[in-house]
Amino acid sequence: MFRGKVILSALALLVLLQATTAAGFDLNAVNGPKTKDLYMVIYRDPDSQMLALQKGDVLGDITRPVDIERLSNFPGVSLSISRAFHLFFMGFNLRIEPWNDTTLRQAVSMSIPSRQIVRDIFSGYSEPVSTYLPPVSPYYEKSVKTWDHDPAGARKLLEEAGWKWSPEGNLVPPGKTSPLEPVRLLSPTAQVAPTSAEVAGRIAEAMKALGVPVSLEPLDFSMMIKRLDSHDFDLFVMAWSLTRDPDSLFAFFHSSMDVPGGYNIQGLHDEALDRVLERLRWAPDRETADKAARRAQKMLSEITPWIPIYSRYMVTAVREGWKGIIETERTTADNIWTLINMEPGNGGDRPIMWCLQEEPRSLNPFSTSSVYDWQVLGLVYDSLIAIDPEDLEDIPWLARSWEVETSGSGSTAKTRLTFALRSGIRWHDGVLFTSRDVRKSLEFLKSREIPRYFDNVRDIESIETPDERTVIVNMSNTSFWHLHNIGGSPVFPAHIIENVKDWESWQPSREKHPSVEGLTMLIGTGPFVFRKYRPGEYVHFTRFDDFRLPWRD
Amino acid sequence: MNSYWIRRFAGALAVLLLIITANFFLFRVMPGDAVSTIVDPRFSPEAKEKMRHLFGLDLPLHQQFFIYVRRMLSFDFGISFLSQRPVWDEIKSRIPNTLALLGTSLLLSSAIGTWLGVKAARKRGGFLEKAVIFSGSISFSFPSFFVQLVLLLLLAYTFPVFPLRGTVSIPMPSGTLPRVIDYIHHLILPAGSLVLLGFGSWAIYVRNLMVKTLGEDFILLARARGLSEDRIIWNHAFRSTLPPILTIFLLALPGIVSGAVITETVFSLHGVGKFLLDSILGHDYPSAGAAFYILGLLTIASNLAADAACTLADPRIRVGKRAER
Repeated sequence: MFRGKVILSALALLVLLQATTAAGFDLNAVNGPKTKDLYMVIYRDPDSQMLALQKGDVLGDITRPVDIERLSNFPGVSLSISRAFHLFFMGFNLRIEPWNDTTLRQAVSMSIPSRQIVRDIFSGYSEPVSTYLPPVSPYYEKSVKTWDHDPAGARKLLEEAGWKWSPEGNLVPPGKTSPLEPVRLLSPTAQVAPTSAEVAGRIAEAMKALGVPVSLEPLDFSMMIKRLDSHDFDLFVMAWSLTRDPDSLFAFFHSSMDVPGGYNIQGLHDEALDRVLERLRWAPDRETADKAARRAQKMLSEITPWIPIYSRYMVTAVREGWKGIIETERTTADNIWTLINMEPGNGGDRPIMWCLQEEPRSLNPFSTSSVYDWQVLGLVYDSLIAIDPEDLEDIPWLARSWEVETSGSGSTAKTRLTFALRSGIRWHDGVLFTSRDVRKSLEFLKSREIPRYFDNVRDIESIETPDERTVIVNMSNTSFWHLHNIGGSPVFPAHIIENVKDWESWQPSREKHPSVEGLTMLIGTGPFVFRKYRPGEYVHFTRFDDFRLPWRD
Repeated sequence: MNSYWIRRFAGALAVLLLIITANFFLFRVMPGDAVSTIVDPRFSPEAKEKMRHLFGLDLPLHQQFFIYVRRMLSFDFGISFLSQRPVWDEIKSRIPNTLALLGTSLLLSSAIGTWLGVKAARKRGGFLEKAVIFSGSISFSFPSFFVQLVLLLLLAYTFPVFPLRGTVSIPMPSGTLPRVIDYIHHLILPAGSLVLLGFGSWAIYVRNLMVKTLGEDFILLARARGLSEDRIIWNHAFRSTLPPILTIFLLALPGIVSGAVITETVFSLHGVGKFLLDSILGHDYPSAGAAFYILGLLTIASNLAADAACTLADPRIRVGKRAER
């Protein structure tokens, strides 16, 4: 009965996702912002957030399967579902036996019923994966070698490679007489991450059935990171939140990243893969990057340094009675496009009540790395380019166009980015936005070596502003990703940041604007004007009447 | 000041130094630090090193310790790793809500519990005693999140008498009086839930103390002297149970600053409890160290206050002197 219900739920969600995808939308039709007041209301407890959504708040992200089930039956609330840049996997310590044996890793991969696990635990709101980038990625390579669930095939693969089984059923490595020593699978605790712990338990069961004597070792997150950093582990489960750019593959698998604090946790050293990953990291153009990303995924599927298990869906609950909600296969309704475009369905002007699941920490755009801070700051600060929510391609934002050129060749090749800025854009305090703002922002981030932006701007060699509408950024090396690192960084008002003495403790949301009543120093060119942050309660914005979308120029 | 109090203050100072030292080393014994828990492929190992340098985590441990001790003693708690705001500002912004919530609930639950405990002890075997024992046992046996969620569901959702969250309405009412009324309206449910969860233990404790005291010879003597029942109960029996009640009350005082993590989470309140938990989990040494230091100070002060209050409440207690026979 329960299984039947779960399968039905999964099917319903998939149908919903497909329907959402098929619907599509015309970006050029987006206009706004339309609603005068926006409140981000802080709800720390998922249960009280549920009650708020049922009672009338407009939007909120849902993470617990039980809540999805509950809200899907609730009148007046609809669910918006999309794929996410999320990947859950099991990693091996390739530095030690027996995990340095590729055949064993492939056989283990074949022993794990990922599809079944996802179906049982997530009621269909995740999808099983066998690739090293999630299916939502524009660089996702589908045609890779997969190790589908096949316990008999796994045993056969091992037999052919000379593995045997002891009378107790444990695996005996080729050329050895004693079976594998017991090993531990590190996982988060069930209290902190119940689903991750459950998935880890199911993986351990499958591995035991194959003959690997594995037991779970649930650990506090800090302890787990310490064990991974000191290479004191056999196996671990973990999840990554990724971005649209696939150069994270370099961080995860290049041998130079097997250093303290690096992300090549499993210790993979493969010269051929390193060469492909270097091509990916330093690709001069999109085409080279795309080829390298796809090649790297194919190679990784053969090497099997991880076993990818699943990728989560994002689910957002939306109150009915609003129009202009924007959702695609790659983003739920929880996005800036929705905030700009949405308005009450029956006309009038009601404030948008948007659930924020945690407190913003500092609202300091230089020091914060909290996702909740950036939900707020992202409405205030703009970048030169934005991302199309449908296909994740670059679209004009503060820049109306750009060019990526490579000068020189070989080791002296360098990337040169030229941005043509839009005209008539104003900061929230009325000052005109110019190329000086872009230059000052990049210089501020680079000269102060601000950790959050360090990797984005460290390769900047020089910045030129030949006129008020043109910015040229010369990089010290070649990489297509420089476009996203520079073009995706927030642009700050030069007339504000040149007075910032101590960027670490700068509190722009608490400092009054020197000349405009009702504003703080937290001003940008974005669609909403920051008005007030009441700690623990809400963040209040108002519509920026001078905001104009690029296609309305 | 007699030698007893000199010894007590010296002891308190020693405990304080111990707390300061333990605060520093305990957090550093925990695996990892504020930077190592950043697991983000967009944060390169070099960027992490920059951040470690920024936080002073690359300094030798003894140097970090001296900086920390200087900060604690001068009450300049530094900048929070997590929020990059002065730690004192972080704590200060949360204290009013925490004091209002936990101070009110401590006062009400202790007052209601004490009154019910005395009443229950007065009529042994009566309905009130049975009701107090039953409701008291029930009230502190239920997990707080369960009771609070049920209250939220009933009184904020099904019958929307109280707000679902926070301490202010959105948008906020204008004018001082409407804002005060709005604030009280928001606090009734969370504070009420804590009173509901807390009065039972007080009632049972006071009832047990009173039952024992009412069986003492001096109560029999008071009755033989023909004193009124009210005088016997409040002037004789209750007064002799005051020292343990005061001790418990005063030792509960630091708790009104440490916050109530679950209550703050369920009702989305901006309080010290959640801040303390986040600081520990996020290895925010300056914030966690400062919060525990303040709590340590309050605990020591409450202990001293409890000693002083007991001597005032019960003339039989004369600290530092041998009882004279």
